[in-house]
Amino acid sequence: MMKGPIRVLVPVLLVMLAAGTVAAQDFTKYHNYEETTAIVQGLAKSAPGLVKLSSLGKTQGNRDLWVLEIAQPGGLPLNERPGLLIAANFAGDAVFGSEMALAVADYIVKNASKPEVKACLDNAVVFIIPRMNPDGAEAMWASLKWDRRTNLSPYDDDNDGRTDEDGPEDLNGDGFITVMRVAEPGGTYLVDPKDARLLKKADPKLGEKGVFALYLEGRDNDGDGFINEDPPGGVNLNRNFMHEYPYFKPEAGRFMASESETRALLAWIVQHRNIAASLTFGENDNLISGGRESAGRRLDLLAAAEASIEGASKTGIFPALGSMRGMRVRGGGMEMSITPEMLAMLMGSGGGMFMMGGGPQGRDQAVAQTSGRRNMPARTAPTSPLAADLEYFRLVAAKYAEMTGIRQAPLTVKPEGAFSQYGYYQFGVPSFSTPGWGLPEAPRASGQGMMTAGGPGGGGQTMMTGRTASFQAGRAGFPGAAGSGASGGDLPQAVDKAILQWMDKEKIDGFVPWTKVKHPDLGEVEIGGFKPYAATNPPAATIAAAGRSHAEFALYLASLFPKVRIESLEAIGHGGGIYRIKAAVVNTGFWPTASAQGLQAQSVKPTMVQLQVDPETVLSGNPKTVSIRQALNGSGGRAEFEWLIRAKAGEKIALKVMSQKGGGETRTVVLK
Amino acid sequence: MKTKIMILFLVLAAGLMLSAPQALPQKSSDPQFKVKLDFNRWHDTEELYADFRRLASAFPKFVKVSSIGKSHDGRDIMLVTVNNPDTGPELSKAAMAIEANVHGNEIQGGEVCLYTVWYLMENYGRLEPITRLVDERVFYLIPTINPDGRQYFMDVAGGRARSGHVPVDDDNDGLFDEDQPNDLNGNGVIEQIRKYVPGKGNYRLSLSDPRVMEPVPFGEKGDYLLLGQEGVDDDGDGQVNEDDLGVYDPNRNYPSDWQPHYIQSGAMDYPMQLPETRAEVEFLAAHPNIAGFQSYHNNGGMILRGPGSEATGEYPMTDVAAYDELGKNGERILPFYEYMVIWSGLYTVHGGGIDFTNDGLGILSFSNELWNGEQYFTSPELKEQQKNPNSPIAPTRSRYFFDDKLEFGDQFMEWTPFRHPTYGDVELGGSWKKTTSRVPPRFMLEELCHRNMAFTLYQADELPKMKMEAVETQPLGGGIHRVFAEMSNPKATPTILEKAGRNNVVRPDLLTLEGKSVEVIAAGWIADRESFKINPTVTTLIDQKDLKRILLRNGTPGKSSRTIMYLVKGSGPVTVTYDSVKGGVISKTFELR
Repeated sequence: MMKGPIRVLVPVLLVMLAAGTVAAQDFTKYHNYEETTAIVQGLAKSAPGLVKLSSLGKTQGNRDLWVLEIAQPGGLPLNERPGLLIAANFAGDAVFGSEMALAVADYIVKNASKPEVKACLDNAVVFIIPRMNPDGAEAMWASLKWDRRTNLSPYDDDNDGRTDEDGPEDLNGDGFITVMRVAEPGGTYLVDPKDARLLKKADPKLGEKGVFALYLEGRDNDGDGFINEDPPGGVNLNRNFMHEYPYFKPEAGRFMASESETRALLAWIVQHRNIAASLTFGENDNLISGGRESAGRRLDLLAAAEASIEGASKTGIFPALGSMRGMRVRGGGMEMSITPEMLAMLMGSGGGMFMMGGGPQGRDQAVAQTSGRRNMPARTAPTSPLAADLEYFRLVAAKYAEMTGIRQAPLTVKPEGAFSQYGYYQFGVPSFSTPGWGLPEAPRASGQGMMTAGGPGGGGQTMMTGRTASFQAGRAGFPGAAGSGASGGDLPQAVDKAILQWMDKEKIDGFVPWTKVKHPDLGEVEIGGFKPYAATNPPAATIAAAGRSHAEFALYLASLFPKVRIESLEAIGHGGGIYRIKAAVVNTGFWPTASAQGLQAQSVKPTMVQLQVDPETVLSGNPKTVSIRQALNGSGGRAEFEWLIRAKAGEKIALKVMSQKGGGETRTVVLK
Repeated sequence: MKTKIMILFLVLAAGLMLSAPQALPQKSSDPQFKVKLDFNRWHDTEELYADFRRLASAFPKFVKVSSIGKSHDGRDIMLVTVNNPDTGPELSKAAMAIEANVHGNEIQGGEVCLYTVWYLMENYGRLEPITRLVDERVFYLIPTINPDGRQYFMDVAGGRARSGHVPVDDDNDGLFDEDQPNDLNGNGVIEQIRKYVPGKGNYRLSLSDPRVMEPVPFGEKGDYLLLGQEGVDDDGDGQVNEDDLGVYDPNRNYPSDWQPHYIQSGAMDYPMQLPETRAEVEFLAAHPNIAGFQSYHNNGGMILRGPGSEATGEYPMTDVAAYDELGKNGERILPFYEYMVIWSGLYTVHGGGIDFTNDGLGILSFSNELWNGEQYFTSPELKEQQKNPNSPIAPTRSRYFFDDKLEFGDQFMEWTPFRHPTYGDVELGGSWKKTTSRVPPRFMLEELCHRNMAFTLYQADELPKMKMEAVETQPLGGGIHRVFAEMSNPKATPTILEKAGRNNVVRPDLLTLEGKSVEVIAAGWIADRESFKINPTVTTLIDQKDLKRILLRNGTPGKSSRTIMYLVKGSGPVTVTYDSVKGGVISKTFELR
């Protein structure tokens, strides 16, 4: 490891220093906040010219949100170079991503002199935020483990006027919060005949009768009839950003960008508009799934137990109007006769969102409605990548599969309010997300290419056969046709079996066998199921390899950045002090200077071409400053400009070109 | 007995005198006010704040001024709290929050806020309804949520002050706000520039009124060229005034239905990016007692409610009913104002303030668009006259008529010569001052203040206020009792909006039954006590595990009552409490034998 760098003459000292300090790092374990801090501080210390460490701000737990800035100074100023942002651990339990991000940083710093790394660090800048939710992540080192995704903000999850009052209890004393199965009348689950560790929903059409009800391991601390419905915290930062923000859903916060961590990152990133791509390590995936966001892959066992608390935040909605339920409407403007239609609306399917026509509307209002529409017609944001961008995303996803060998995603979550979605739909740059590891490759269905399937779940769709499919199909709220793959586009898929197979194969102790325990309130129950963190974070031994392959992938991403330069600049004298300035601007990078969405969202600035002269000397042609509003395509996309100016022979005329995501340059020509 | 009553009366009177803010004796037919304020002029930020400080020191027991944060330019965002501490701490009473001037140029809401606090204080102890409101409610006023914009309006900018002052690069040259219009002649107004070019121009003076500039038809020539807004090319890029200060919309920066700027122009990069918005959101979110909200804007004469966009969906029917009752009465309090829904009546707004207060915080919210140009010529006859194009008050000429005859030429800026650095000899003028059009003439300001205040006080009076109507017990033998408790909310506003209840944005109302040795066997709602006596129908059981603490997620609607029937086992003192964050806490204690 030491040999390579030493052969390089110039950065010898630097690299030795780096290697000397950084070599102490141990990528065979998970690191808590203190250790993570030591690692990033060590990296910054090891290569002071190359690495800059700063903090986006402090969390409620007084922890820093570290950001590493890695680039070789010289050439373009850092804030004019295209940037790659690597960020991890928005959901507190996605700690593997943190470790990968640290390993990527380590790899890049240690190998700064390798040609492909040098090319990146000379022309671009890499930002790495290894742990966005350090308060939440720290729960991984607690003596009692539960899959905590949230930060420390106190939050009344079930909105009962008591905050964080019903968290989990370790009833079997094993240090893990898992699942309780309770034999009780009305239970709808039975032991899966094909794998006794799992349960399946009883299917009355097959003559099956349920035995068990499923709950999270714990007690009903507040006596509301629900178990563990209001654990400590908080907000999952991966659900607190603005695009497709999951309003009023679990872990999403009171409102979008409600969390100080979220706003710290937003405030920082809008000051770093040179960031040209983002790569998120965490619970979302659009790389393994082929370029489109996966709708999610989950453990049904856990989902079924979690479903037991869904009612906790819904009880106590009483019909508002109508004498039939103890309400008496009195006088004034509230008087109205209630028609069956109105009642249906009142009692109807939750949400309280009635599309228009909440009451009878007069003619005047109808007229006003059309005028309101005309004044500013409603627009909506897209929720899937634009076709032009998707082509690039697919190419990148194919390369990702090739470089990492990952074929089947582990657990993933549909990205609602996720940072990676913000990165593409609002910040406007190519944004990729991956858990960073995979399950053993699933058998391919005939005629379904892995990378071309395009649908969520990618190759994982083929898991949805036989028993798994019927397991889902029988459950309320699950797609009846989940097994058909194609139709399950918007709904998460169950991967319990695939996870168990992987754990068995890798000899991972990740499943607590069902054992009988005396529950203080429920009597005899059985406790078992997936261990917290075990299914979401692979063994630490895999960190180093994953870090390396993702470092290489990150460098590959940086190699795709647009690169905008002046291809030619010439001045032609016409006599009489009149000169024609001709210039061509070219993008020699791979990506266009703006993604299609970046253009649509106007979040990527047009490329600026500016002749550095007094505007009064420009006689005709382009204005002094030109904005190239369309993107310049990669691989040689170009634009030409021409000015007629009044000047004198011998004058130096400068032309400046600046692309927000593709750098720029200034060149001069001397008039003859 | 008689002396007892006398003593009670004396105690009451003494109490009243103590709590009254020393109303001055009435000398003649009209009250003598303690604090003299002007409501026939416009206040800049500092003048407005100074007047609130005067009110706070004149009525220190009731009026407090504080700051909820700093604006971009470092000004305090003033909060004025009106609360009677004798009737309980702030959070125990439903509050009306009033905010104004989010758009810097929409200034008159600031004066309405000032008028409101002044009126409440000067009439406390004199007018019973005002006294009751101050005693029962809390008022939070943010007289200008955009103090930078207000000051900029007053000092320089006029209508351009809608935005705040966070810099934005409008022309993509890497420089921020570097080419703003310039007040070249220093008269406080950004005027138009015209150049006299006899026989070579494209504009001419109207024959009907030389103040009106008309474009000339094709084939004819005028004497003037219009050269745009007063300014110069500050950044030497060949364009004039292309990168003005800020230019975004603070009222699109709230975190409900916020959309990026290509969907909603002016939204900024993310919600609460503006320090003013964030300060307000944090203040509102920390005060769950706020049950009513008003955001004063201008203009057009509207009483607006959400939703701001069609896609959000209409509010549930009970919420609409409450809004309608208030809005329709608002139209009666505010002639020339129309009650309407933002998206359907005005235009689509994403990330607007009152969408956040309604959807995100469960606060019944209006936004009044103060002042309507219809108020210049109000009578039906004058409206009829305006249809005649030759009338001196025909639409093209009415403004000049009004300025001549009622404002004595105060508002129109005549053309005056000016030597422009690049255009040479030009004239500046032809503009209306910032104190016209979107704001009322000064002599009409006080009426605007009073009527809008009256509507907002009406809303404040209609905030929820729970009442325990009656508690009745009925022994069934064997230590089992029926307990009937009737609770009502006689006000128009529900204790929890239906939409807020469904989305869990307001803490549920809690109906508790406490007693040392009692147990609740069952509970259910009945139609009402009298009907139940005559026809004891089967009730629906309340399906909650802890019946001593029943959650009412959607609270009690406006102008309605509920009767609960408990089946209770045990004896001794029992207290039934209805606890609502917006509707107050009421309880009744009785004995079970």
